[in-house]
Amino acid sequence: MKKRLALLLAIVMLASMLLTACTAPDTTPKTPGEDKGKDESKAAEPTPLNFWVFEELHVAFYKDALNSWNEANPDRPVELVVESYPNAEMHNKLLIAIQSGVGAPDIVDININYFANFLMGDIQLAELNRVVDPVRQYFVESRFDIYSKNGKVYGLPTHVGATVAYYNMEILDKAGVNPDDIVTWDDFIEAGKKVKAATGIPMIAFEVSDQRPFWPMIVQRGSDYLDKDGKVILDNDINIDTLNRMYEMMYEHEIAVAMPGGKSWAEEFFPFMNSGGAASIVMPMWYMSRFLAYMPDLEGKIVIRPMPIWEEGNTRSAGIGGTGTAVTLQSKHLDLAIDFLAHAKLTKEANIRIWEMLKFDPPRWDVWDAPQLQEPHPYFGNEKIFNVMLQMKDEISSPNISDLSAAAQDVVKQNVMFRALHERSMTPEEALKAGAEELRSLENK
Amino acid sequence: MPKGSLGIKSFLYSQTVAPYIFILPFLLSFLIFFLYPTINTVYMSFHEVYGMGNMNFIGLSNYQRLFNQNFYDAIRTNTLYTFFLIIILIPLAILFATLLNIKYLRGRNFFKSVLFIPALTSIIVAGVAFRLLFGESEAAFMNSILIRLGFPAQRWAFSHSTGMLLMVSLATWKMVGIYMVYFISGLQAIPEELYESAEIDGANSISKFTRITLPLLKPIVIYALTIIIFDGYRMFGESYVFWNEGMPGNIGLTIVRYIYQQAFQRNDMGFGSAIGIVLLTIVLTINLIQLRFFGAFKKEE
Amino acid sequence: MRKKAKFNWSIWLIFLFFIIVSFVMLLPLYYLILGSFRNSKDLFRFGMDLVIRPELMSLDNYKYILFGDGKIYLHWYKNSVLITFLFTISSLFFSAMVGYALGVYNFKGKNFVFVLVLFVMMIPLEILMLPLYRLTVRFKIINTYSGVILPFMVSPLAIFFFRQYASGLGKDFMAAGRIDGCTEFGLYFKIMVPLMKPAFGAMTILLAMQSWNSFVWPLIVLRTNQKFTLPIGLSSLMTPYGNNYDMLIAGAVLAIIPIVIVFLFNQRSFIAGLSAGGIKG
Repeated sequence: MKKRLALLLAIVMLASMLLTACTAPDTTPKTPGEDKGKDESKAAEPTPLNFWVFEELHVAFYKDALNSWNEANPDRPVELVVESYPNAEMHNKLLIAIQSGVGAPDIVDININYFANFLMGDIQLAELNRVVDPVRQYFVESRFDIYSKNGKVYGLPTHVGATVAYYNMEILDKAGVNPDDIVTWDDFIEAGKKVKAATGIPMIAFEVSDQRPFWPMIVQRGSDYLDKDGKVILDNDINIDTLNRMYEMMYEHEIAVAMPGGKSWAEEFFPFMNSGGAASIVMPMWYMSRFLAYMPDLEGKIVIRPMPIWEEGNTRSAGIGGTGTAVTLQSKHLDLAIDFLAHAKLTKEANIRIWEMLKFDPPRWDVWDAPQLQEPHPYFGNEKIFNVMLQMKDEISSPNISDLSAAAQDVVKQNVMFRALHERSMTPEEALKAGAEELRSLENK
Repeated sequence: MPKGSLGIKSFLYSQTVAPYIFILPFLLSFLIFFLYPTINTVYMSFHEVYGMGNMNFIGLSNYQRLFNQNFYDAIRTNTLYTFFLIIILIPLAILFATLLNIKYLRGRNFFKSVLFIPALTSIIVAGVAFRLLFGESEAAFMNSILIRLGFPAQRWAFSHSTGMLLMVSLATWKMVGIYMVYFISGLQAIPEELYESAEIDGANSISKFTRITLPLLKPIVIYALTIIIFDGYRMFGESYVFWNEGMPGNIGLTIVRYIYQQAFQRNDMGFGSAIGIVLLTIVLTINLIQLRFFGAFKKEE
Repeated sequence: MRKKAKFNWSIWLIFLFFIIVSFVMLLPLYYLILGSFRNSKDLFRFGMDLVIRPELMSLDNYKYILFGDGKIYLHWYKNSVLITFLFTISSLFFSAMVGYALGVYNFKGKNFVFVLVLFVMMIPLEILMLPLYRLTVRFKIINTYSGVILPFMVSPLAIFFFRQYASGLGKDFMAAGRIDGCTEFGLYFKIMVPLMKPAFGAMTILLAMQSWNSFVWPLIVLRTNQKFTLPIGLSSLMTPYGNNYDMLIAGAVLAIIPIVIVFLFNQRSFIAGLSAGGIKG
């Protein structure tokens, strides 16, 4: 009967409707994406650029750069669409987006911990030499190296990340300790004992589910996780000795504690430090921004000094950490994105703004003596902070970066530090050996 | 009438053809979304695969790499988690079911609903609630109780034992209601006369429970056991909500998180596939043992 | 008489026991709701007791989500609702068909197909996560609703349930339908589907809950903020880097309220559906 046939047809249609009902949303959102191409030709319409960050504090800086860009380039206005995600999650998302060819932003802040992952195989980040080469000479060169492969730059640095010691003077004064007398780590330990005896407060807090100050400590001694050729040296004598000394600070001299939350960026750590939980921390310069944002009670009490050294010949700092801002090849506005990024990060003005807005040590050293950077800061003991930087200018060694870098940092953060310093299920030597072994199995692959 | 419509007509009325049309969606879905991926994952496990890129045959290398501490840690987490769920969830669910099956108990429907509500929450929502309760600060609820009882505050997510406690209590909270319902339906299937005749023989409540209730609940216990093991080895969310930013000392590292980490963080799909194959083997072995021992197939026919 | 008094005493003990149990079970939700009215940055840092403190409470978090900068949350809500709806409808449609065929017909290969269904039921999807991900990329359905829905649309669990249900239906209905001149398909849609209504009820709940709360697969398939479902969106807020807890906690509360309300009015189907979810998983 015709009726039955109609019924069958109806079913088939229903089924296909259901299927298309599912596929429909696929096409709709793409349309505005395609429109973007046209936008660029229309001068007045701002071009939207998607931007992912894993650190909310950076957003204001880019918004500021956006305003100055739009003022200077009325013919190529930009609109930034910023999304911020959890650190690990953002990098997973980015990796998946890049693998699958769908959903990557135009511009993205990539944590140095993960950067190497994006330089493997077929690189999906845009080469930035066009904008970097003209200004390269003014920058701390090693800050480009860490985001480069085979001479091509894929990320723009946000800061030098020079590691320094932050001392809480309120606590040190109670114990009669002068931070300027602390030159070596032995001095530091002695001072720590005095502080502990006088106030009961630990001298320093260590990250135990992240890698500071272990990493800068070994880099200042000329060691690293990987050598220049990318070979694993995680378990060399310097590293074992350094981790042993950290262990002793925690459990023998009892002048060091694990940071609450395990890392300097945990929400539990900020109130701990803010209320005077430790007399010092050793962190990169960019950590000034965290003091300002999350530890208001320490205003005027913090002074910045070079890192103590282990022995003659060590550098007094190490350029640790970093955020490389990259443009992905999925961007439909590659040139615009690159030009905007150069405007936001490579110019002299931009580098002054990096200091003014983020309180990061700008990678362009020719601004370090600019008046804005030389201005004394009330939060940090009213001192001229960049005098410390200028003092150490040639002592800021950067770590070696190669294919295994991301994996190496993972291993140190997740396993070595935690097992050796917090859980104490392994001795420092065992933990480093186990970590090195894991890395070597990747190396041999 | 033209011949064609006769063909369609006989087709529409055919009892031989109809079932094949009906099962077509399953067959298609099976081929595309099950069989092909299964073969693909076996294939990938013998290759070096970065993202969507090309594959290089590397033989058993991925499998050799499985012999490492991280993988042992992952298996250990899953095994302990499953074990604790079995010894906590099943007795607790039986206890609740038995007590709530008492007809004179006032408000028992209310209690059933309350126990069931956590099952409605997604793992993320439940996780947010537990993260609040088990916060690290001394004022967070669980720590404030510990301190009142004279214990030091805990960093819950920061050691293996308390980390396990977090996952197991989250899972128990979320699932005890469902298992309770299984056992209630099991209890209701037990004929009343059995209890009555036991009462005539002078049995007290406890011996009635151990002699009648428990043995007759055995099929449900086995059934619950199977699901717990199955879910225990594929667990992901319970760990993700507490350690989404990374797992210090591999606390909370499970097999599936290990796959996720290797494939989507380290970009190593080949190795991720090899881990998947091991998980498949574990799950299949357990299922086969269950089927062999209890003949579950036949019972459910 | 004496016996009865003793009996009441123990019943009251049990009653008391369940009052305590209920308190424990509701505590996390109570805590969450309480927290959603507080400044959540302080919550995670300083913790919170169980006392309602009106002076610290405000609707700010909800205002932020519904009217403020947190509007992306409403997108997630919409995505969750749409995906749940589409998934449930299509999954019911196809799974019921297959289950019905396996339940009422005798045909060659039937047992084989049924064994396949059971086999798929026994394999956790997490194992196939990587190849399925690559498949969605190749089919260009990554970051779409289809990518979330299609791979698990034909649910072996629902097939199993419908099969059990259909095989319990009287065959005489079918015979009668055939005499009336129904085609096999007419028979199914006109006569058998209405008869399987209770099974549809239970499965609607099961499939909808599964979809509403599903986490692992959407986490992989959904790539952009605009496409996230609630669990994925909320999980993207769990970070110490951002100041997103305002959205996280209030968002979590809003995500459960509708389900709890629906549950309170349909407890029976919920319990039937969700317990069916455990059928030999």
